[in-house]
Amino acid sequence: MVHNGDKMSEDYIIVTEKLAKTYPGGIKAVKGIDLKIKKGQIYGFLGPNGAGKTTTIKMLSTSIKPTSGTSTIMGYDIIENSMEVRRTIGVVPQDLTTDEDLKGIENLEMVAKFYDMPLNDARKKARELLELVDLTEFGDKYVSTYSGGMRKRLELIVGLIHDPAVLFLDEPTLGLDVQTRTKMWDYIRKIKNEFGMTIVLTSHYLEEVDELADIISIIDHGKIIVTGTSEELKKSLQGDIVEATFASPDQAKVFGAYVNAIDPTFPKENVVRMKVKDSDREVPAIMQYMMKNSLSPTRFNVSKPSLDQVFLDYTGREIREEEAGDTRKMQMNMRRLRR
Amino acid sequence: MSGLIPLTERELKKWYRNPVFFITGLLQPIFWILLFGSSFNLTSVFSGAGAAGTREELAVFGTTSYITFVLGGILTTSSLFTALFSGTSIIFDRRLGNMSRFLVSPIHRSSIVFSKILSTTVRILVQSIILVGAAALIPGGLVLSNGMSLLGVLIIISALIMIAFSFSAIFSIIAIRLKRQETIFGIINLINLPLLFASYALFPSKFFPAWLATVAEYNPVSWSAQAIRYVILNGTLTGSVLQQTMYYMLYLLMLTVFMLVVVYFVSEKEIRD
Repeated sequence: MVHNGDKMSEDYIIVTEKLAKTYPGGIKAVKGIDLKIKKGQIYGFLGPNGAGKTTTIKMLSTSIKPTSGTSTIMGYDIIENSMEVRRTIGVVPQDLTTDEDLKGIENLEMVAKFYDMPLNDARKKARELLELVDLTEFGDKYVSTYSGGMRKRLELIVGLIHDPAVLFLDEPTLGLDVQTRTKMWDYIRKIKNEFGMTIVLTSHYLEEVDELADIISIIDHGKIIVTGTSEELKKSLQGDIVEATFASPDQAKVFGAYVNAIDPTFPKENVVRMKVKDSDREVPAIMQYMMKNSLSPTRFNVSKPSLDQVFLDYTGREIREEEAGDTRKMQMNMRRLRR
Repeated sequence: MSGLIPLTERELKKWYRNPVFFITGLLQPIFWILLFGSSFNLTSVFSGAGAAGTREELAVFGTTSYITFVLGGILTTSSLFTALFSGTSIIFDRRLGNMSRFLVSPIHRSSIVFSKILSTTVRILVQSIILVGAAALIPGGLVLSNGMSLLGVLIIISALIMIAFSFSAIFSIIAIRLKRQETIFGIINLINLPLLFASYALFPSKFFPAWLATVAEYNPVSWSAQAIRYVILNGTLTGSVLQQTMYYMLYLLMLTVFMLVVVYFVSEKEIRD
């Protein structure tokens, strides 16, 4: 179920080969990653903390050098042409990078100057972006007065000031409450649609990746375990779950003998749970089978697999919350967000 | 160096917008000159002995006003003490996350460090102007009995720039890889007094035992303090005094160029998140 193979290489904005990073002390954070990311996609890395997501993003965004392997972004090598790569990409790191002692607009203007943007263009673009994330009235306020959600929104647009071709978002909603998170998703979708930007996103929130990403790579212990669309990944679990409750155990037994049933189990003697390959196609056949055998269920339920199940299936464990990583910095960020 | 100007602007904004930071920075030189210049008045030791005392005083200090004697030293020390702290903001940038933004931006990594050094130098120049003003205004203060030349003004300004630059550079380099600001505060506390007292900043060389005088000769604080002092005491420099001053300036220049190269290479390679 690996995402469709080699087409023409110019379709791909980011290509990596065996990208790996071993930190001093022998910690193998990333153990050889091969990626092909298409233009205009939102590409999501899903994995627990410490899986290697941030390290991968930091290598691609030239903050740290890979130990081995290569990668190009828009044809620029991340080691040889790191300056060109930095001009091409926008990054929203996990840290809060804006300066609290400056105003929102001053932060944007400062970063624009890093890209040698003329001041007038920078101001215009900054105003546009502030409007995009509903911060228009707050541009002239000091960042120290911002709430956590506003702060994250500002971070998001600082990465966009120079119109990058690719945007990296490292855990864009870490530490935000559910409502603010949903709002951030809207902004991210808006950015994709309005600017046609390729977005690389990391998250350990399943819903976030499911909601936003066109292609998902599940990453754990520094390796990509599986890649595909959310649909493909769920399908790769070999089926949806059908659960039916009958008046009598006999009827349940007959239903359990259905020809396309995969691993039928009986949680109770009158309840059948089975997997079917594709419930959309299978349910009509199941209905016919039930009519033919005069089965009348009292309850009938079909559930498509969630990304939770996909993760569990491929990694053998639940996605862990809050573990490893740079806890000191994370706590600091959380504290600053909570205001 | 597209990062140097915006990053230096940032540093200076953070300085002049923070009232406590700004005002204490400006008050510090005034305290230096008032407290050191007055309560520490070494020339007064000699003044009791009439004409002979004054002669001795002139031989040792070159002036009867201690403030005039010590101004070069205080300008240098106040610059030094400000410069020592310029590395701490690198640690804060890393701790607070601002560094992550700089590292993914298309700027030279050294411009992050150079912006600290440059903004510290600007702050030191502003402090120095206030300090000279305060020294001139207080009773018994600065007396330019031999006038002042354009070359003299240039020497004072460049000596201060070079001291500010070199010491901010040294301490920025130390801070590049440090994770805790406590470490750098410890180093500052360890080094500031030896730097001050093993130099000619506050006392004339005649007061020093031989071994300490040797140390003081190699202390950059002495180079700057002496160069500025010669200018203030003599107005127009000639002969051996001019030569000695130029030697001190040359040492300072060598140190500055050396630090410039070190900062460039170390920060391009070593600065990180």
